[in-house]
Amino acid sequence: MVGLEQYLSVAAALLVIGIFGIFLNRKNVIILLMSIELILLAVNINLVAFSSHLGLNDLVGQIFTLFVLTVAAAEAAIGLAILVCFFRNRGTIDVEDVNVMKG
Amino acid sequence: MTNADFQILLPEIVLAVFAMAALLFAVYTGKDKTAPMLTWITAAILAALAVWIGWNGEGTNAAFGGMFVDDAFSRFAKVVILIAAAAVLVMGEGYMAKRNLLRFEYPLLIALAAVGMMVMVSAGDLIALYMGLELQSLSLYVVAALRRDSVKSTEAGLKYFVLGALSSGLLLYGASLTYGFAGTTMFTGIVEAAAHDIPLGLLFGLVFILMGLAFKVSAVPFHMWTPDVYEGSPTPVTAFFATAPKMAAMGLFARVVHDAFGGVTADWGQIVALLSVASMFLGAVAAIGQRDIKRLMAYSSIAHMGFALMGLASGTEFGVQAMLIYMAIYVTMNVGTFAFILSMQRDGQAVTDIGALNQYSKTEPLKALAVLVLMFSLAGVPPMVGFFGKFYVLQAAVQADMAWLAVAGVIASVIGAFYYLRIVYFMYFGEETDPLDHAMAPAQWVFLMASAAIMVLGVVNLLGIEGPATAAAAALVN
Amino acid sequence: MEITILFAPLVGAIICGFGWKLIGEDAATWVSTGLLFLAMLLAWVVFLGFDGETRQIPIMRFVESGSLSTEWAIRLDRLTAIMLIVVTTVSALVHLYSQGYMANDSQFRTGESYRPRFFAYLSFFTFAMLALVTSDNLVQMFFGWEGVGVASYLLIGFYYRKPTANAAAIKAFVVNRIGDFGFALAIFGLFYLTDSISLDVVFEAAPVLAETQISFLWADWNAANLLAFLLFVGAMGKSAQLFLHTWLPDAMEGPTPVSALIHAATMVTAGVFLVCRMSPLFEFAADAKTIVVYIGAMTAFFAATVGLVQNDIKRVIAYSTCSQLGYMFVAAGVGVYSAAMFHLFTHAFFKAMLFLGAGSVIHAMHHEQDMRNYGALRKKIPLTFWAMMIGTLAITGVGIPLTTIGFAGFLSKDAIIESAWGAHTSAGDFAFWLLVIAAMFTSFYSWRLIFMTFFGERRGDKHTHEHAHESPWTMTVPLGVLAVGSVLAGMVWLSPFFGDHDRVNKFYGVPTHGEVRHAATTGGQGDTVMIGASDSHDDEGDNAAAGDHEGDPAVAGWTPGQGAVFTHPDNHVMDNAHQAPKWVKLSPFIAMAIGFVTAWVFYIGLPGIPGKLAAILRPLYLFLLNKWYFDELYDAIFVRPAKWLGRFLWKRGDGNIIDGFLNGVALGVVPFFTRAAGRLQSGYIFTYALAMVVGVVILVTWVTLAGGSH
Repeated sequence: MVGLEQYLSVAAALLVIGIFGIFLNRKNVIILLMSIELILLAVNINLVAFSSHLGLNDLVGQIFTLFVLTVAAAEAAIGLAILVCFFRNRGTIDVEDVNVMKG
Repeated sequence: MTNADFQILLPEIVLAVFAMAALLFAVYTGKDKTAPMLTWITAAILAALAVWIGWNGEGTNAAFGGMFVDDAFSRFAKVVILIAAAAVLVMGEGYMAKRNLLRFEYPLLIALAAVGMMVMVSAGDLIALYMGLELQSLSLYVVAALRRDSVKSTEAGLKYFVLGALSSGLLLYGASLTYGFAGTTMFTGIVEAAAHDIPLGLLFGLVFILMGLAFKVSAVPFHMWTPDVYEGSPTPVTAFFATAPKMAAMGLFARVVHDAFGGVTADWGQIVALLSVASMFLGAVAAIGQRDIKRLMAYSSIAHMGFALMGLASGTEFGVQAMLIYMAIYVTMNVGTFAFILSMQRDGQAVTDIGALNQYSKTEPLKALAVLVLMFSLAGVPPMVGFFGKFYVLQAAVQADMAWLAVAGVIASVIGAFYYLRIVYFMYFGEETDPLDHAMAPAQWVFLMASAAIMVLGVVNLLGIEGPATAAAAALVN
Repeated sequence: MEITILFAPLVGAIICGFGWKLIGEDAATWVSTGLLFLAMLLAWVVFLGFDGETRQIPIMRFVESGSLSTEWAIRLDRLTAIMLIVVTTVSALVHLYSQGYMANDSQFRTGESYRPRFFAYLSFFTFAMLALVTSDNLVQMFFGWEGVGVASYLLIGFYYRKPTANAAAIKAFVVNRIGDFGFALAIFGLFYLTDSISLDVVFEAAPVLAETQISFLWADWNAANLLAFLLFVGAMGKSAQLFLHTWLPDAMEGPTPVSALIHAATMVTAGVFLVCRMSPLFEFAADAKTIVVYIGAMTAFFAATVGLVQNDIKRVIAYSTCSQLGYMFVAAGVGVYSAAMFHLFTHAFFKAMLFLGAGSVIHAMHHEQDMRNYGALRKKIPLTFWAMMIGTLAITGVGIPLTTIGFAGFLSKDAIIESAWGAHTSAGDFAFWLLVIAAMFTSFYSWRLIFMTFFGERRGDKHTHEHAHESPWTMTVPLGVLAVGSVLAGMVWLSPFFGDHDRVNKFYGVPTHGEVRHAATTGGQGDTVMIGASDSHDDEGDNAAAGDHEGDPAVAGWTPGQGAVFTHPDNHVMDNAHQAPKWVKLSPFIAMAIGFVTAWVFYIGLPGIPGKLAAILRPLYLFLLNKWYFDELYDAIFVRPAKWLGRFLWKRGDGNIIDGFLNGVALGVVPFFTRAAGRLQSGYIFTYALAMVVGVVILVTWVTLAGGSH
């Protein structure tokens, strides 16, 4: 039987992978976007797991998940749009090249 | 879902509907040619909503089963947010138009961000919180990258987006944990679950949520985006970043810690205190090395957020009141300062190097005096209103037996005074350089002078802001 | 009306100080003078129409902090009424006098504006002094107290181009700080013990304070004694009593009208006023009163001896002031506050006149102040001469012995000397003898001044003498007014100040003591003025009886604080004084006569004597000439070590440690962190993300550990 703990563990693992993806990856900004998706997926798993754990009548978690999915889509669109603009100016989307401003 | 619920939500709905309708209107008519008109209309609507909310609101009303709360606290925050947004729109209009940046999306994105912020400060539920936060953030990501042909602007947008998404991800994770361990997303339910003893899972949820909010208020160590985004964004956008969203994030911060976690003040109090100290010191120390006035204002706002958090850290009603007063003063000061920064140009080119201010008092004595007043106020020099803001939060900290925090605040403000006073020094005693242009848009001039005047005249009972702040704090903490 | 009196000088000061550019110098100075005369007029109306009942006139809320709650109010009682007329009268006359005296001052360059500043200071001083004497609580009094200190400082240093004037101003300020510290401590103590600084509350608490012990420094003290002593320390500073007197002679560096107003008639008497005002407390502080008597007597004697040999005309009068203040303290110390106020009142007239007269002489002699360069001036400046004569007759105490006819000083000084005798204590006897000797010296130096200045031969610069001229009317009119006061003030107001018990009590608004009333009626004295030993047995017997079974003031049906001054039921010094034997009453007159004759012999009859005497008694002469070496002593004990310490702290402490530390922090540590913060801000997204994650980890760890603990 797969219990709450297992779901939470998977979600935590996804979260950590997502976070590591953000600061270990030095190559492509697209990977950052993917990492962010991973984090949001971890959240969604959490929400759904809690929702089902808390009882059949508690749909708040699942509704929350739908909201998160929607927002995540919008977020990805905006992220990609900004990225395209950036690429036009800089000619690269390497994470290491996103450092004009510092100090 | 009744009429009454919509009645309560009416200002937000009006603004959202206006934004979307205007969007359609602009797309099908003159596109960017309509932008100046839309800017003014948006500003007028924002100001009108501020007046409406300020005058009309009364009591505490909950809509949608408590997911949306309209009380004195949210009204205080909303008025500040709306006025700041309107002011920034008005004073940035000329700057944007001159640089071919005045696209019709700009005022509408600001309006949508304002809707998001209004939802944030009224949130009574984690879902409402998230939706407000994201509406605000997504709008801000876009306006940060508004200058599509600039490396700096797009880089600012990209950085803000990636880090912002990370922070909302972590906040969401915290929200999911909170939901799981409290069994509800309503603040009223969470506060019962965390009445006295807080389960570890809920504690984790609290920390992650606070982290997401700390990112929005740019508290150390979640502040790293701030200087880069402030520098890269077009200056009117920077001015917006420095004012309204800060108030909204602070309002949401207070809302979450008091409405949802009001029973465990000690647990979040120490986190907030830690964030506060780190922000005050880093803001003060790092700004000293800056020559770019926009970056300098970024660190300045980090330090100021540290002070505002000091009020929250005390965990008392007076602390919330102090925070609100501090934020209102902070927003006023920043509106004036950015009005001035917007006017800084040489031969029509925008200048942000503080060295350009050398001997400014010789060519523009009145404006230099106004800036001097604002700098003194930002530094917290006694006769100015900025001092009273600091005084309030320090008092709140001392009353909550956090004298160490107050002492740290005083030391940090002494260090921080250096860079404000250095600007004054440049203006009055600096070496000769090419003078800045005389021209200044009337709107900018008005906001600069009004802000400086408030900093001086506000000494008289802070222009009556105490009463609403007290009511707001009382509505939040009970 | 009282409020008008209080604020008229302030308005004058503001108009004159800030408005003179608008309305012109002359208009500004005359406005301030006019307002002062208005205040004077109203003050006399208040004084003459005053019924003795204490009244409070609130002006505004003043300080509100915790249990400290004060109103700024005018406390109008007899003491206030007396001080009001003294202050406003002398001040108004000095304003008028200054119109002439300050007209062309050689200390300032032509075309410089200094007169509005001078008048503004004078008016401001008057306001502060009025605030002091009208105060209803100790904090307000302290405000006035410091206000007059500031005005005094500003006016002593008015000739700011003169280094000596600046030094004197600083000295006055610093020495007064010592006294003020005592005063402040006393206020703190009273607030600590009574939880109030209102005079009424403090007065009512006085009997309780007398039975309270308070721990201060190294020992436990009786609260009433300690607080009274601390108050007296404040009074010593302001009134230039021995050990804190050194600033007063130096303060003569200021313009002469200032010396007359501040350093003779009003500010320096604030100490006496303070002791009288706090009489309910002093009455319960026997030891403190004894100290007051000793210090007062010693000051009177010391200052008189120094006055004998001084050559600067203003310094002679300054020491004379110091000495007369000692008299007043003796009277207050033995418990006859009324006599102290009497002498304060008369002294204000004749001492102000002496100073203004001296100013007139100095004015005539082109700012020559050394009496050795005067001589034979009575023909040149007759009006001034006669004014000075009257002043001298008043201060030396000329009158018809054993009657109540005489110049002002005759009555008031004799009242003090008799009171000292009437104390019947060792301190009182000590004071009595010192005061009689001091009276002799007073007479000697006063007449010496007159003889050296107005009689004999011309000395000094011939040119100056030839150009000596009488002063303008603005200067002689005040002299005339003060002369009238010097002649009559004593005779007119003797009975209310120093008449029989009943009359004095009525004057001060004190509810009459039952037993005393009984004694007075059986004695059949009614309201006749009683000086001299009329049927005194009756009185003495009853008073003794009264003292026996009237130990508790509450029994007598009145408490401290009712009326302007309070005398303990056991205090019969004034009655005793009235019954002093004839030799006591004669002794000051005899002393005065001896002083006069000696002075005449020394400076008119056989002018060679003083030089020879000085040569024979050279050590003594130098001792007196150098004012008992007090300045040198203080220089060695306090000034030089303090300067050394200051230099040490400056060079070592400030220069090396504080500057070193702060500069180290400001120029080393902070920039280090600034650079570190700059490096952390690498511009890379992954650094920023890492910082956020590290932040979350730290916070999570911390709350987990902290959360686990509870």
